[in-house]
Parts: sequence; C-alpha cells; structure tokens
Amino acid sequence: MSARLVVLASTVALFVGFSVAPDAQEDRPARAQASCPQEPAKFHPCALEKAKTFTPPRTPDGKPDFQGFWRGQPAATENIEEHPKTDDDDGGRTLIVDPADGRIPYQPWALQQVRDNRAHYVEPNAACFPSGVPRSMYVPTQIEIRQNASAVMILFERAHTYRIIPTEGRAHADSRITLWQGDSRGRWEGNTLVVDVTNQNGRAWLDQAGHFYTEAAHMVERLTLVDPNTIHYQVTIDDPTAFTKPWTMAFPLRRNRQPGFALLEEACHEGERSTDRLLRLGFKIYPGVTKPANP
Amino acid sequence: MLKHVALAFGVLVVAGGTAATQQRVPSTPDLQGVWQAMNTAAWDIQDHTGQRFPGLPARFAMPGGAGVVEGNEIPYQQSAREKKAENFRNRLTADPEASCYLPGVPRITYMPFPFQIVQFSDRIVILYEYLHATREIYMDGSPHSELALDSWMGDSRGRWEGNTLVVDVTSFNDRTWFDRVGNFHSDQLHVVERYTRVGADQIMYEATIEDPNVFTRPWKMRMPLYRRTEPNAQILEFECYAYARDTGEAGSR
Repeated sequence: MSARLVVLASTVALFVGFSVAPDAQEDRPARAQASCPQEPAKFHPCALEKAKTFTPPRTPDGKPDFQGFWRGQPAATENIEEHPKTDDDDGGRTLIVDPADGRIPYQPWALQQVRDNRAHYVEPNAACFPSGVPRSMYVPTQIEIRQNASAVMILFERAHTYRIIPTEGRAHADSRITLWQGDSRGRWEGNTLVVDVTNQNGRAWLDQAGHFYTEAAHMVERLTLVDPNTIHYQVTIDDPTAFTKPWTMAFPLRRNRQPGFALLEEACHEGERSTDRLLRLGFKIYPGVTKPANP
Repeated sequence: MLKHVALAFGVLVVAGGTAATQQRVPSTPDLQGVWQAMNTAAWDIQDHTGQRFPGLPARFAMPGGAGVVEGNEIPYQQSAREKKAENFRNRLTADPEASCYLPGVPRITYMPFPFQIVQFSDRIVILYEYLHATREIYMDGSPHSELALDSWMGDSRGRWEGNTLVVDVTSFNDRTWFDRVGNFHSDQLHVVERYTRVGADQIMYEATIEDPNVFTRPWKMRMPLYRRTEPNAQILEFECYAYARDTGEAGSR
C-alpha cells in the first residue's frame, strides 16, 4: 500500500471497525462453494456462467435489485494490472480479462505517458479529486447502490462522491460538458444493467500506477447479480486516442452484510495535506493529456 | 459458540436482503427532482445592500437582496456578535468556502447550485452539485448516530409531519459558516429543517437554528426552493478544490 493510500487509510480508519472485509470471507469453505473465486480471470467466466441461471431479486417495478452496500477490489487501486507485493503495495492480480495477457493495450505514446504520470504528477486520488469511472467502483471504501424507477444511484464513501445513472432513456449531456465522473446513462438488458459513460474530462486515473485514459474515452459497464451477494462488474473501455483497441476489466462487487451499516462522511479535502508535500517535491497537478502531434 | 455466530450471520444475511428495496411510500409527499434556491442568501442571509466584495473584481460584487432570516434578526450573544464582526473583516480568506470546504447545513441548501432529492421508504438522499456533497436522511426512526461526531454535513434523521419532511440535524463541527459575511455557529449547532411541497415546482424550506454557545434563542430561515424545469437539467460537478489546485490558490488548502 503506497504512502498515499496510507494517508487515505488514516482518514477512513474510523470506518474499518464496521466494514466487512470481503476478501477475508473468501476463506470460508461454505462461501467458496457458493460464489465464484475472487481472482478476476477465474471470476469472470464463472460469473458469466452463473448469470445464465441466477434469478435476481426484483425492485417493486420489476428490475433486478442491486440495492445495498458493496465493496470492489481494493488492491486494484494500487495497480489494475498484475503487481507484486512490495513495501509500497499489497500486490494483486490483474483486473483485465481482455486482452488475455491482462495488460492495457496502450499506443506507444500512451505507454510513455504512464511513466510520465508516475514521475511527474500527483496521483489525482491523493488530492481527493473524484475517482472517475471505473476507478470509483474499486477504490478501497464502501459503495452503496440505490435504485428507483428512473435512475440508479451509486454513493461512494470515498470523498463522498456519487454517480446518478438515469435509466429512463434521456440523452447524454452535450459533449462540451466534461466531468470527472463522466456522464452515465443506463438501460436494462435482461438482468443486466448496462451503463454508457461519456463526457470524460480525462483527469481521473485508473490507479496509483499512472494508468489513464483520455477525454475521448467511452466506457460501457455491465452489472449483473450472479448470486444474492455478488455482482459481476464488467467495463469495456474504448479510447482511440490512448489504446490500440477496446479492453475489458471484470471483478466481483461483494455485498457488505453488516447489519445497520451506514456510509459515514469522508471529508477528504478538508484537512488533506499530502498534496502540498508532493507539490513541494516537484510533482504537478495532472491536467489531462492529449496525444502528441508527432508521437 | 462459533457455530452460533455463523448461524446468526446467516440469518442476518437473509434479513438484510430485502431491507433496502422499497421505494418512496406512495402516500408520502413527493419531493423528488432537481431543485435550487433563487436568492442571495449564499452572500448574506440577512437583508443586505449591493456592494463591492473586498478583494474580488467588480463583476463579482455582492448583489443586494432581501434576507431569509425571520424578522431579519440573528440573536447573537454579545461575545458572538464580536466574533461575527471579526469574521466579517476577514471574510475574504476566513470563510470556509474560500478553502472549498463542505459548507454544512443549511448553507448547502442555498449555495447557488442545484441539488437532487431522491426518496426511499427508509431513507431520503440529497445529492448536491456543489462539491459533490451528499446527505443521507434516515427515515427509519433510528436515533442520531454516535459515529458522526464533528462532521461537516451533520447527522440527519427525518420524519413526516403531515405533508412536511422534518429533518433533525446534529453532530456538526464548528468550522462552517452560514454565509459569506461571517455568520457562524459552534459545534453545538442543532438544525431542524422543514421541507414542504407547496406547488408542482416549489418547496418551502425552513431551517430552525439553535446553538446555546452562540445565540440567545432559536431563530429561523425560510425560503422557497424551485424546481429546475429545463428538460436537460441534471446535476453536474462543481469541483471547487480541483479548480483551486489548478492555479495553486488558497482554496487548495
């Protein structure tokens, strides 16, 4: 876990006592049989298979009911690609299920940009900026999903951010409006919530390792309940500016079943000091990038 | 013993599955939608004349406006009156808004940005454009949480009184103000909000302010909230501290 995450962890230490650690539960034999394995490469095909037969609970208006508290894949915020355990990192397997090598298919300039990001810029989450999509779904805090007939709301304990995903068919905001969290529009395909995300401002990263996308990025997320306590989360990212082809990550969201659980206020920016230290060390605020004219 | 714990856990899993699924109870008033205050309370909650705001360009001068405080009187204790005057003198930098901090309640309501109310049977959620602030108002009869001490946005517990949503808000810190001219409170602040739908596109909003460390008696603000009826109205982002970081100004601290 990096120093930045430690700073974050200190601000959320208050909550640790209340959160169910989904990873720890994986050791329970009963659970291991009931659900798909945690490792994305194994989880993904297993969950897709389970989705074919699982009948999810429904909301009063008949849509799959995702409501409750959930947790993503916390180690991924270090690096969504496979990375070893080090003094800085807890280590983890890649979230990327396509391409099969588990690596982001960067164009050459963008691969260099990842190195530049790490070398020169403050990791945007350290400054409490919104985590963006999809990173919001695996930052190491709790997620609450709420639904009504016209929208799905996702609330993140991380810096009290949220997403509003209209599901009643309205058009995307004008392309001149760009957003940290992007502009989300949802629709139902059978038991799956499909979310189209555009209008990126291109300033959020995918992880602490500097993995990124640009404001040209277009995400399509797919959320499907595969058992009562597991959502198969999948997102395909298409960004012709940065990548050679669209690629896909997948991982489980596990239900937090702690009775009486509630999100608390993580006032991240208020009292945040690590960014000032990083700026004094010469790191800069990441402004987003565009493809160089002559890469 | 372990088996008993495991059994209890299993029961709770079953119980937890359906708890959150209910949408707004149809018999309760519908407050849902995108709303915004339409006044100058963000500048000054009392009656005020238009004037330059020291340190800001002329085009960002403070507009004059009628106040939102009942009787236009804020019943400060004597020592608090002096503190307010000091806040006023230092308002350009001492206002927590200048640091892009969460503005607290009720100030978040009349910041010049829209917010969206979403209702569920056990919870009302308010999602604010300003600083992506959120509030979860518990409607399940539960008492205030002991975990929310010293928070910026408070701990909100709501109930229906006839057609009015009444929200009791406690557990504040002492670091937010009511406006840009230094009206303030202590961590003993207790706010009771009342949201009453008075038309298709209008909510009457009231906030009763109580703080035995700062005021001699409770006092009240009152203002209409208007629906954003534009067909393309939606909550966007106002990321104050990100804007401040981009230029390295004071709000980045």
